[in-house]
Amino acid sequence: MSAPAAVARRATRRWRRSLGWWLVAAVVLACVGYLLISVTGATAEYYETVPELRAHPTTGEVRVLGTVQDGVVRSADGRQVRFQMAGGGQTVPVVYRGTLPDIFKPGVQVVVDGHVAGDGVFHATQLEAKCPAHFSASSPGPRGTPGA
Amino acid sequence: MLLAELGSGFLLAALALVAFSALAALRAGRRGDRRWGQVGLRAFVAGFVCVAGASATLLAALLGRDFAVAFVTDHTDRSLSLPLTAAAFYGGQEGSLLYWLLLLGACGSVALASARHRVRLAAYANLVLAAVAAFFLIVLVAVASPFALLPVTPPDGVGLNPVLRDGGMLVHPPFLLAGYSAFAVPFAFAMAALVGGEEGNDWIALTRRYALVAWGLQSVGLTLGMWWAYHVLGWGGYWGWDPVENAALMPWLATTAYLHSVQVQERRGGLGSWSLVLVISAFLLSILGTFIVRSGILPSVHSFAVSPLGPWFFGFLLVAVTASGAVLAWRGTPEARSGGDGRPAAPAVPERERSGPSREGAFVLQNVLIAALTAAILWGTLLPLLSGMVGRELVVGPSYYQRVGAPFFLGLLGLLAVGPLLPWRGLSRGWSRRLLVHPLQPPGFLGSPLWAVLAAGLTLVGLVVGGVHQLPVLVTFPLVAAGLATCLQEYGRGASRWLRGPGRARSSTSQRRRYGAYLAHLGVLIVAAGLIGSHVWQQERQVILQPGQSVTVGGHTLTYEGTLSGSRDGHPVTTARLRMGAETLEPSRVSYPSLGQTVSRIAIRSTPFDDVYVVLTDTRGRAAALNVFDNPLVSWIWAGAGLLVLGVLIGNLTRPEVVPELAPAGSRAPVGAR
Repeated sequence: MSAPAAVARRATRRWRRSLGWWLVAAVVLACVGYLLISVTGATAEYYETVPELRAHPTTGEVRVLGTVQDGVVRSADGRQVRFQMAGGGQTVPVVYRGTLPDIFKPGVQVVVDGHVAGDGVFHATQLEAKCPAHFSASSPGPRGTPGA
Repeated sequence: MLLAELGSGFLLAALALVAFSALAALRAGRRGDRRWGQVGLRAFVAGFVCVAGASATLLAALLGRDFAVAFVTDHTDRSLSLPLTAAAFYGGQEGSLLYWLLLLGACGSVALASARHRVRLAAYANLVLAAVAAFFLIVLVAVASPFALLPVTPPDGVGLNPVLRDGGMLVHPPFLLAGYSAFAVPFAFAMAALVGGEEGNDWIALTRRYALVAWGLQSVGLTLGMWWAYHVLGWGGYWGWDPVENAALMPWLATTAYLHSVQVQERRGGLGSWSLVLVISAFLLSILGTFIVRSGILPSVHSFAVSPLGPWFFGFLLVAVTASGAVLAWRGTPEARSGGDGRPAAPAVPERERSGPSREGAFVLQNVLIAALTAAILWGTLLPLLSGMVGRELVVGPSYYQRVGAPFFLGLLGLLAVGPLLPWRGLSRGWSRRLLVHPLQPPGFLGSPLWAVLAAGLTLVGLVVGGVHQLPVLVTFPLVAAGLATCLQEYGRGASRWLRGPGRARSSTSQRRRYGAYLAHLGVLIVAAGLIGSHVWQQERQVILQPGQSVTVGGHTLTYEGTLSGSRDGHPVTTARLRMGAETLEPSRVSYPSLGQTVSRIAIRSTPFDDVYVVLTDTRGRAAALNVFDNPLVSWIWAGAGLLVLGVLIGNLTRPEVVPELAPAGSRAPVGAR
């Protein structure tokens, strides 16, 4: 067996083996990619500002960022709040039932999850307050829990 | 006034020293010149001393309540206790960067000094660390100086947000930031090994060791963050899949993968380039995390004031990605899959005799799972940014992470049970037949899978008999039990070997490392059980009670007795008293009228089985609005994390510098050429 032939055979074997590895990697990547895309499709929601919410009326679940306006109305048991949320010069009425974060008050930025009902009111199932400006990097943010 | 000038002077001097250190290190690295290496190291250490001086100055300004300094005014006020005033050092943006730099200097100085016998390696690592430090110093000097002065000195500061006025503030940020900064050290050594074309294996031991330090710090930081969120925020949970939380988790995951792949590198000489990719990724992910946090580019409930730092960190990230990518492509191209010592692998048993699953196979699978999990988290975290570029902004919440993470989580749990039982180089031929024919005879060739199978089976039966029907529990708890059995079996084997006589035992350092690692495994398994248990079995009631009324959650009946008014540090406090058996729980609300804010103080009664967690959300007359949670197994998370950290400490940090035994003396192991 001549030396060049042996070298060539070794190279082929190596190439075959690495081809196998690349195939395995490609299959793994495809599976992971499929998982990510499908779960993303099933769970992702739009993140919008108030004008975007107005511009894209939808009945699906969305997450909206806005600022709480003066005139927060609480129900008798204190569990439900109605308020106007503003952003970009527009407002949307929001109703939320559940625990409010400690820092919730007019002027605070909030992120609400929910949908716009037929009456044009945003029904929030979750409400988070953005922390005020000088919050440290490592401070966990206050979070409201969904209503019971 | 004077303090601010002193601090700025320290920072400028540090910048000059670090820049000089980088140049000296470059020269030392190119020429292999020991004296220039020493010069570089000394300049780096001197730079670190200057940074320490700047830090001491900032601390003095904070504690001396020097409100002429903008940083002091923005983050403290006169009513703040001394410990929290000191904690504002890393609580604010500029100070946290300085703190990061301080730790980078400390870790870097120790690491470089301990590696100085490897002239070129230490020199190039010095170059990388000095470059990273220079970036932070430029930012601190030019963009975000903690020593900026106000035109008019106010009489008092703005103060710290009330939510942060808690003991957690004293412990969580320092560890997390320390972890973040420590990832730079293994990164520097990995890059240095690549650039310098290191030979031999001791650079692997060095890199591994510093990666372990960073990993341990980040483990503590993450756990304290969860603990803090749980004890302070009052939503009954500890992890919300917020971008900032994910940013801290990703480098930890990448380093977890590295700590396993490096075993393959040490023992079998494989995965060298991949291990380097992991170390480098951990650092890049930590910078990405900083960028996410500081730029306000992603929707997060954590946020710094939107600052001019975003573009700086983005630029730094781009440079770091490009530089490490280029170095990897230049030096790290995987060559023929030969043994780690440069020879083709020559196993004691011929390859074809060993065809079954192997330890290295388990490590590879573990790495694939962790890499995929990290990619999934990265994708979820960056989705708003990526989707915003092509259309409407999309976000994912906890349900995404739970669904996408579940298969990887289960796979990793399974590996914890199986992996440690597998031998290096694989099971010998016919293993599956032998396993099928003699399933109950503990076969020597496979450790003994019997114990793991038995533990899993008994747990499953116990759960079913106990009436548990939740699928996540029925799947994960048996796997956890199997993993525990595997770990304990390893300890049992070690103990029996030790009983037969010390002569038969392996060297104590390799033993320590081994049993430290299994202790970490035990910790992870206990954490996993705690995560699943608290997630699946959590119960919550939201009630409004009049005095004398009761609420029952998770089998615990709490009777509301009434409210008390008092004060805490001069702030009015309303406390609700609830009786639960012989115990009294006292959740309260502290108001900060000057800030127009009220903060809940949660009452938690913790046992190994469950936590009763009570939040006072409001009071109306004599009535109290309460959220009452029963959170099973949460204390397992803290206990498991403690074991993990203990494993890191006793198993690994105490061990002296060891050159892995498997590389024969004088062998060559060019970096990446494997």
